[in-house]
Amino acid sequence: MAPSPPSHRPRKKRRTPVAPGSNNNLILNVKNGEPSFPLVSFLWAARAGVSQWLILPLTLMAVGLFRWAVSLWGYSGFQVPPMHGDFEAQRHWMEITTHLPIFKWYTYDLQYWGLDYPPLTAYHSWLCGKVGSIFNPAWFALDESRGFESADLKVYMRATVIISEYLIYIPAVVTFLRRYTRMHGVHAWSASIALVAILLQPATILVDHGHFQYNTVMLGLFVASLDAILAGRMLWACIFFVGALGFKQMALYYAPVIFAYLLGVCFFPQIKIVRLVNIALVTVLSFTLLFAPLLVSATGIEARQEFASAPQPPLLQTLLQVLPITLDSKSIPYALLYQLTQTVHRIFPFARGLFEDKVANAWCALHTFYKLHRFDASLLQRASLAATLASIIVPCARKERPPSLLPMTLSLAGNGGLNKENRAWVGWANVLGSWTMFPLLKREELRVPYVVITLLWAYLLGLPPTSLETYHSRSTKDDPNSQFELHALTKILHFVFYVAMVAWHVLEAFVPPPAGKPDLWVVLNALIGAGGFGIAYLWSMWKLLVHCQRIAREASEDDDRKKKQ
Amino acid sequence: MLTRRRSPGTFAQAGYYASSDPPYHDSNDTETSLFRDSSSRGRNIHKMMQLDTIENGMTDTDVREVHAGNWAASMAELYPSLAQCAIVAGALKVLLFPAYKSTDFEVHRNWLAITHSLPIQEWYYEVGVSDSSYAAVIFTPKVENVRMDPRLPPFFAVFEWLLSQAAAYIDPAMLVVKNLGYDSWETIYFQRATVILTELVLACALSKYIKSTPLAHKQAAHVAALSIFLSPGLFIIDHIHFQYNGFMYGILVLSIVLARKQSTLLLSGILFAALLCFKHIYLYLSLAYFVYLLRVYCLDPKNVFRPRIWNTIKLGVCIVGIFAIAFGPFVHWGQIFQLKDRLFPFSRGLCHAYWAPNVWAIYSFADRALIPLAPRLGLPVNQDALSSVTRGLVGDTAFAILPEVTSGQTFALTFLFQLVPLIKLWTHHNWDTFVGAITLCGYASFLFGWHVHEKAVLLIIIPFSLIALKDRRYFSAFRPLAVAGHVSLFPLLFTSPEFPLKTVYTVFWLVLFLFVFDRVAPVPERPRIFVFDRLSLLYLTISIPLIIYCSLIHQVIFGLERLQFLPLMFMSSYSALGVVGSWVGFMVIYFTT
Repeated sequence: MAPSPPSHRPRKKRRTPVAPGSNNNLILNVKNGEPSFPLVSFLWAARAGVSQWLILPLTLMAVGLFRWAVSLWGYSGFQVPPMHGDFEAQRHWMEITTHLPIFKWYTYDLQYWGLDYPPLTAYHSWLCGKVGSIFNPAWFALDESRGFESADLKVYMRATVIISEYLIYIPAVVTFLRRYTRMHGVHAWSASIALVAILLQPATILVDHGHFQYNTVMLGLFVASLDAILAGRMLWACIFFVGALGFKQMALYYAPVIFAYLLGVCFFPQIKIVRLVNIALVTVLSFTLLFAPLLVSATGIEARQEFASAPQPPLLQTLLQVLPITLDSKSIPYALLYQLTQTVHRIFPFARGLFEDKVANAWCALHTFYKLHRFDASLLQRASLAATLASIIVPCARKERPPSLLPMTLSLAGNGGLNKENRAWVGWANVLGSWTMFPLLKREELRVPYVVITLLWAYLLGLPPTSLETYHSRSTKDDPNSQFELHALTKILHFVFYVAMVAWHVLEAFVPPPAGKPDLWVVLNALIGAGGFGIAYLWSMWKLLVHCQRIAREASEDDDRKKKQ
Repeated sequence: MLTRRRSPGTFAQAGYYASSDPPYHDSNDTETSLFRDSSSRGRNIHKMMQLDTIENGMTDTDVREVHAGNWAASMAELYPSLAQCAIVAGALKVLLFPAYKSTDFEVHRNWLAITHSLPIQEWYYEVGVSDSSYAAVIFTPKVENVRMDPRLPPFFAVFEWLLSQAAAYIDPAMLVVKNLGYDSWETIYFQRATVILTELVLACALSKYIKSTPLAHKQAAHVAALSIFLSPGLFIIDHIHFQYNGFMYGILVLSIVLARKQSTLLLSGILFAALLCFKHIYLYLSLAYFVYLLRVYCLDPKNVFRPRIWNTIKLGVCIVGIFAIAFGPFVHWGQIFQLKDRLFPFSRGLCHAYWAPNVWAIYSFADRALIPLAPRLGLPVNQDALSSVTRGLVGDTAFAILPEVTSGQTFALTFLFQLVPLIKLWTHHNWDTFVGAITLCGYASFLFGWHVHEKAVLLIIIPFSLIALKDRRYFSAFRPLAVAGHVSLFPLLFTSPEFPLKTVYTVFWLVLFLFVFDRVAPVPERPRIFVFDRLSLLYLTISIPLIIYCSLIHQVIFGLERLQFLPLMFMSSYSALGVVGSWVGFMVIYFTT
């Protein structure tokens, strides 16, 4: 077979004198061509001429292996009766959703891990429970299966996490990165490296596959919504974001950004009422769809009778007092209201006081503390995604420019996702993040995965404590990357934190806390972590501002050029 | 694929293309191929290949510069380095600490205990009547092959003794002989960690192998070294199932590498002798060593009739010395026959519990397949064997129709098929032929040996990997072996948490390395003789439905209990076909090169 002429696309003229991807600091020295951190070495062969159809499956298999290997270890609440932990909570929800009519989901025996996540989690649990019951109905037998632990069940539950992740989070991240890097003209090779770095993020793996949660489903829906924004499909963005909210209320932290952005899109550069109405309609519709099964189920006679005799949630009491009309407690509107207020009451624990449905003992306090911790973890995930997302959020925050300007104006910024500075900051925040989870992971015998996964990630990205490469300044005058060298203050700051983390581990391992303050180390950990996150947040803000200025400047230059022409 | 076959001259360019080509060279081309919609999936890879060759042409001059002696640049492309792979693979292996471990784990713990707490004279006597009863209690499903007593040669026992010195600091309880089935976290951490650490011997050997390879073939050697180090065989057997193969194959590879240079031949021989005292399975390869060292070291390579007496004496004294150190004390105590019984338990059957994919697996399969046909063909049926048909899994296979096979016959066959390649080694005594001969000795013993373990397939795969990238013909013989050999290890792990690990890791390795090998392997100097690669492609395609059937559909149709042996039989016959096919293919290549 004679070689057919290749379909050769004429190359675009480059705007920058620097080759794309080079400001990602992937290669130390252009002459030697030495990779600058180990992850680059691993994808060295993929620099050119290798199809994504090969790289992508291999990447997904490799990160999948690490996920599954972590899942061999312990999980939250393993052999800790009577309440166990998150694993048992999720299993219990599968148990109640598969056995009870829908209207009972948010009211059934709330003292024992009552459902307190939004409806999409409940539907997800229902599906997992139904499938699991095919394998072994005993895993999810109503009431009988409380505290059920077996090797098979563990494998099944772990499998549901990983399958959910591969169905939602990973496609979302992959398509998002593809779109995002394309928009910025980032080299496919850098994109592959960034993908591996994002998918091997320690905090996500440790929380979902170690501790046991389904965060990645929510994160995946959120990323899908960002992807839709990038693609300009605002309505899909709404649907995905409602999905994320409907899976885990934690997505509310992202809500301001998304809300501000969608609102901005409707008002800048000119007011588009139709779009606003559409967005509002789709949002309301998807919320209605989300709650529809719950509400439909609440209209049944059995449900109405049940609700009439059940104690009213505080929100409903206030509502009834405020409303001008009186409702018959067996009427349909009452049932609907009851269902809604009960669900909201369950989802937002502040409405019912933090400790209301749990025995307020030390264990419970600790647990809440850990919940707050996990929240940190999610913040962190955001921080790391922020590395790449930062430039999107800029225009949202400023509401000045639609993102259609992004590819032109932010090419450098978007291109620099893996440059030294970004890598150092994002890496630092991530290492800090998994470090703050240590007290939680330690309780669950996840010390080894914690150490391995965190150090592995630090190693792959060339970060302390495994390598000082990122902080080693080697710039020369003619090096186009010198602008990404770290500031001395940054170096000092990061080192202080790295040293503090190591020192804390030594303290925690060898020095018993003083009598009377058994939680001293944990509190110290939380304090340092909080400080670090504050700094990371400030850095992100500063980055955003810099980007904004650049947008504004380049936009005005653009305008000048147009005027001249 | 035809279009990308390069003329032999362009091989070096293909090899060095990656380093000389700056990463941004064809950014637009790769970008367009990124995530292209699925309709062009097949063409896509193909197109990339074409682009690849075209890029080659464009970077021709760069390539020459590299060849002109820019050592640094050509070194630069050996990424990821062996050390980097070792670190990342090490991370994964540490994460596997809580994974399933076979009875071998307890066997090794028991050896730690025996060597630590008993005098040497009792090492090979400690059996434990209690062992069998204990085994019956703990390992109910697979009782029959559990043997707790030391059955590896003295050097391995000393190795265990050394480990036990460290173990005493970790958890003394694991060193109590009667503490059967003891698996505290410390014990698991310690034993698993020793496997990972001792595997560094393999990493060192492989890095020596890369260093010893001439520059023109360095990239291929590097790829081959990585493929060995990351081998799913070692991953499954050592790091999940639990054994110390990585360490011992490290010694083997080191010894093979040392055989490359005349100056280190003696060391190579000594190392191999020592290896035999670690694990006697390597006896299967000893004939190749014997012939090679005799021909190259003891005789003048240029003239057969001029023996080099001094060399012969050195080698003889060293090897006898090694064996004397290992076995002398036991001869002195009159225990050598006890040792022999321990090391060579001939009482076992022709096939191992799980059929290793060799000739006898095909033979057994043919026997089973003939049973329904026997009445029509008028063949006599052995009724005793018939009743044990469903026990296809278990050691002592009895044949219903085909004649029984004796251990003598298997040895005769093994010896015969080892002898054939050795004749060529005698006449063409270069290093490549030597490694080929080792591989073929491994093949012969694996295919025709008595009571072969499926794990022994590494005996073929690892030496073969060292030369699989010599050219495309070697690679095409290697391919079915890589698939069949690794897939046949799957039954070793039968627990559900390990199912994704073994399959995903093996598929990952196969996809990655078969692809990379395909790019790196040069075009042969001679044209291919027969359509071997077409057959091997067909063979590879069959594997997918077969694996799906065996791991999923069979359970759905028959349930977990019924006809349990059927998927195993299919798998081992299929794998046997692959191993035999690759053997025949390699024989042809070996003799025609």
